[in-house]
Amino acid sequence: MDAAALTDHLVAELGDAVTPVIEHDLLTATVAPGDWRRVAELLRTDPNLGFDYFEFLSGVDEEAEGLGVVLHLYSTGRRHHLQLRTIVPREGGVIPTVSDLWLGANWHERETAELFGITFEGHPHLVKLLLPNEFEGHPLRKEFALLSREAKPWPGAKEPE
Amino acid sequence: MGLVDKVELPQPIKFVFNWGRRYSLWVFNFGLACCAIEFIATSMARHDFIRLGVIPFAHGPRQADLLVVSGTLTDKMAPALKRLYDEMPEPKYVISFGSCSNCGGPYWDSYSVTKGVDQIIPVDVYVPGCPPRPEALLHGILELQKRIGSESLKQRYIDADSRPEPIVVDA
Repeated sequence: MDAAALTDHLVAELGDAVTPVIEHDLLTATVAPGDWRRVAELLRTDPNLGFDYFEFLSGVDEEAEGLGVVLHLYSTGRRHHLQLRTIVPREGGVIPTVSDLWLGANWHERETAELFGITFEGHPHLVKLLLPNEFEGHPLRKEFALLSREAKPWPGAKEPE
Repeated sequence: MGLVDKVELPQPIKFVFNWGRRYSLWVFNFGLACCAIEFIATSMARHDFIRLGVIPFAHGPRQADLLVVSGTLTDKMAPALKRLYDEMPEPKYVISFGSCSNCGGPYWDSYSVTKGVDQIIPVDVYVPGCPPRPEALLHGILELQKRIGSESLKQRYIDADSRPEPIVVDA
């Protein structure tokens, strides 16, 4: 399916729950956090969609809007691609896990959880993946203070001498 | 240790002794990033640091005399480096190879990178560059060998924690 046909199919299945945008032949479907799990299950199990390949899951700091969660999926059988997005609140953002639908999402969710501070409900082992255990804070959030930069402004803006 | 830590060796014996040590440096490469590739290039046929008596790929830290930290040390990796250094037998030397291990390099403001291995272990030679060319590492090794050549082992064993000022190789 191309992006337009994919959009029609998703809107027919989900109605208003999904906001589709097509950019560069890539369909970006934005859903509410409450619909995240339902939509993910549909994408995985609907034989017409057949998203069997998990590409990646990550977070985006959207500042005032909250924290974005981005999931990229691909169908090896039907050769189409989709980006699923949602936004959760900055504080206490919770979203259901998709790591049982795509096993590859397991580590990506752990990474997103530690770097952005989003909880993935139902994840089997949501502990830190990359950061040391004693690390405090969520370093990919924009408000995370980099101590070196507090002491000294970024020198990259200057021409090297 | 025997005699060397009790008496200063006579100059000719010291010369021969240090000559032997400086030209059989078993090196352990703690390769963490792209600098490790430059280290490997230095060990291969074109630059070939074996001709300087640097013997690459010690089987483990307990068989190594020289530790080359080449690459980006993260806070999570730092305890492993410290442990590795502690496992090496005296007399041991450390070359900090590349900007990342010298001071954090391009990751100077990162939340996860250690800003210089000298926060964890004492460093004998700093080789700057991002990554430094193999010639820079050869230069660093030569400078280190010069220092080993004139070193007093007695001094080193009596006062194991004190180190002379580290050498900084000019870029």
